[in-house]
Amino acid sequence: MTRYIIRRLAFALFLVVAVSSASLLLAGAVPGDFASGTLGLEGARRDRLEQARERYGLDKPLAVQYRDWVAHAVRLDFGNSLLYDRPVGDLIPERAVNTAVLALTALTLATLVGLPLGIVVGSRHGGLMPSAIRAGSVVLLSMPPLLTSLFLVFVAARTGWLPISGMRSAVAPPGGAALDVLRHLVVPAAAIALPLAAMFERLQSQAMREVVRQPYVLAAVARGASRSRVVWRDALKAALRPIAAVYGLVVGTLLSGSFAVEVITAWPGLGRLMLEALSARDVYLVAGCAGMGSIFLAVATLFSDVALAFVDPRVTE
Amino acid sequence: MLAVAALLAAACRTDTGSTSGAAGKSVSTSIVRGGEIVASVRSEPRTFNRLTARDTTTDLVSELTQAKLVRINKVTQAVEPWLAESWTLAADRRTYTIRLRQNLTFSDGHPFTADDVVFAFAAVYDEKTGSILADSLKAGGKTLTVSASDPQTVVVTFPFAFAPGVRLLENLPILPRHKLEPALKAGKLADAWGLSTPPSEVVGMGPFVLREYTPGQRLRFERNPRYWRRAPDGGPLPYLDRVTVDVIPDQNAELLRLESGQIDTMSGEVVPESYATMKRAAGEGRVQLLDLGPVLWADSFWFNLKPGAFAGDARAAWLQRDELRRAISMAVDRKAFADAVFLGAGEPVYSFVTPANKEWYWTGTPATPHDPAGAKALLASIGLTDRNGDGLMEDASGQPARFSIVTQKGRPRLERGAAVVRDELKKIGLTVDVALLDANAVIERLVSGRYEAAMYPILPTDTDPGTNPDFWFSSGSFHLWNMSQPKPATDWERRIDELMAQQIGSADYAERKRLFDEVQQILYEHQPVVYFAAQKWYVAVSSRLVNVAPALYQPLPVLWAADTIAVRPR
Repeated sequence: MTRYIIRRLAFALFLVVAVSSASLLLAGAVPGDFASGTLGLEGARRDRLEQARERYGLDKPLAVQYRDWVAHAVRLDFGNSLLYDRPVGDLIPERAVNTAVLALTALTLATLVGLPLGIVVGSRHGGLMPSAIRAGSVVLLSMPPLLTSLFLVFVAARTGWLPISGMRSAVAPPGGAALDVLRHLVVPAAAIALPLAAMFERLQSQAMREVVRQPYVLAAVARGASRSRVVWRDALKAALRPIAAVYGLVVGTLLSGSFAVEVITAWPGLGRLMLEALSARDVYLVAGCAGMGSIFLAVATLFSDVALAFVDPRVTE
Repeated sequence: MLAVAALLAAACRTDTGSTSGAAGKSVSTSIVRGGEIVASVRSEPRTFNRLTARDTTTDLVSELTQAKLVRINKVTQAVEPWLAESWTLAADRRTYTIRLRQNLTFSDGHPFTADDVVFAFAAVYDEKTGSILADSLKAGGKTLTVSASDPQTVVVTFPFAFAPGVRLLENLPILPRHKLEPALKAGKLADAWGLSTPPSEVVGMGPFVLREYTPGQRLRFERNPRYWRRAPDGGPLPYLDRVTVDVIPDQNAELLRLESGQIDTMSGEVVPESYATMKRAAGEGRVQLLDLGPVLWADSFWFNLKPGAFAGDARAAWLQRDELRRAISMAVDRKAFADAVFLGAGEPVYSFVTPANKEWYWTGTPATPHDPAGAKALLASIGLTDRNGDGLMEDASGQPARFSIVTQKGRPRLERGAAVVRDELKKIGLTVDVALLDANAVIERLVSGRYEAAMYPILPTDTDPGTNPDFWFSSGSFHLWNMSQPKPATDWERRIDELMAQQIGSADYAERKRLFDEVQQILYEHQPVVYFAAQKWYVAVSSRLVNVAPALYQPLPVLWAADTIAVRPR
């Protein structure tokens, strides 16, 4: 097991280095840069562009910029954001925390809703409720988070019950800052959680359906054990394995990929920061965001793999 | 249009009575002081230093926190004394003696003197700073000479008799010498006032002070208690206590927030796609929808006319010909263009200067007819005909008559505009490829001259052509189709140079108008830039805003006059 974890950690490290390096090189290689965007067409006289590039260190060849960045990165200095004029190493954790809050809330919601529904649907044969749940899941699954968030923002705007965007009010309302953040969290978290809950429900119900047909389950029922006891105690354990296998992947992609929802709902997270960095061609920030995203993915996958390895030692072979 | 804008401004004030607002019209004596508005922008500011960036949010921060010597009223286009109380022009018609308002202080209490004005000019002209505002503060490419004759008097000498005169000074925010002089002396002014600067360090003489900047979320401004301007009733301005500017990257979310009353105004216009929704919201009294008429500047379509740009390319024989551009102008149905691109909220235009610019528009501008047959005949005159009967044109060498248009992706009106041009030209047999790039890449391509044709919005800072020499003169860095020419590449550009040189030197408006009409006539004949339609501008603000002076000022149609905006009491 230790060797397995070390192997996974080494791969995680490789992933982070590869993703952030590739991001920096790609962002730097495409036409246009931070200097041209800042000056605009009206101000982008050639000499002025060169002057600005020199100031931002963009006048050097990309390979040299990359070499310098790597030299600093090994000392955990990921450069200064051109856009925010602050160290990337300071900016990323601030936004990553916001993304983590959003993603973990959404994940908890999705798990609490999706898994029980999946168990209910998977353990029953026919009936109105399973059909209704299944139909709802299909609808939610077919709606990308972009549409879900637009719909929820629309509902929030129409009803006026919840803030539509941002993470905090300009002035904390009565009830305090924590309640304010919670109110702001509802729309983006629901936008992510609803399709995710639908996915969990689908996976869980399929897994459960297969498990309840297993001879040992049928035998237990035949021996007179109550069906609900068999389902929730014996079958559930076996049916959780497929979910556990994808859980890490879901967590990783959630943390690194809630771009659309963060943009629509103006949630100041990592996804939005990445988008801003890409639009502005802030190469160091792009590399930092991509690196952080891959850290999320790597860590989540690692936990998932380790958890799976404990459940099923065959995966370490 | 200006009359309409003024009427609309007045309409916004209907229930408040009368005295004097941003546009100098009558407004209320019963305006309530205090309160807060929430505005929105789509992106973070690039910096708090207006000398080094020109994005909308940086511009907004500067408008709210800094002041200038004069202000151009964006509704009337008239020059208004601002930090400068008055000025006189000497007999040489080059030297302005400017008297500053007395007893003014920056927001941190430091006294404002003529030395600050001299410093601001030194900062903007500083080579190491490389300010983007430097060119807009030059006359004929030459810097102004500025000196302080006493603490309240500044002498500004132009290199020659310059017709726009003090209008030019609107481009310069008066920055605090006591805060920024060390950076200038160290050659680091370009790095000063970055986004990590504590808000308390960003001092100015504008109506508001920056109180808080939360990256990714918002900027908060509070009223500057030392703001110098007084309301018509003698009370202090600004009326508002606070302005919060939320960063909302998504346009749909921005509109929904406005509609639901969670923000009061946006930084830009209501896009055509959202007009119907906003009109409905206005009908229900949730927002005020202000119709400002067609914009001052239509989106530009032009070819790369740099000599040698297509060296070694067989298409060089026709790509830079006047006939091609004239044929395109005739081939595109401008009404259809306006309907498709602006969803009906647009009007055909034929010139860089649109009818909205009443003072300078050449009323003799011919309306190019939609004439595909005439366009084909023109193209035939430069060797472009359908030689193989496939419905598409080929040049004399048998190569397809094909070119590409570079434009910015993510801006629906530009994407649609380029698509309409492509489709219209296909009808006469020209093949067009549309290349959608992000803004940085488009700018890079245009500045480096690596493009064939482009469609892009051009927004001069002022309606007076004399203040945009970079566009008009062949040596200008913003002479779109062939930038920074060492000498005029064509006879007609040489003639425009001559006319513009006379135009900016004449003191007589009628003479200036005559000369500029001739410039527009030459441009119409040679069509270095083709214009198809101008968008009609609608601006939406919440129903609780009063004393708004909406203007056709494309970055900040409402907040350009933030000091006189007030909110209706709840």
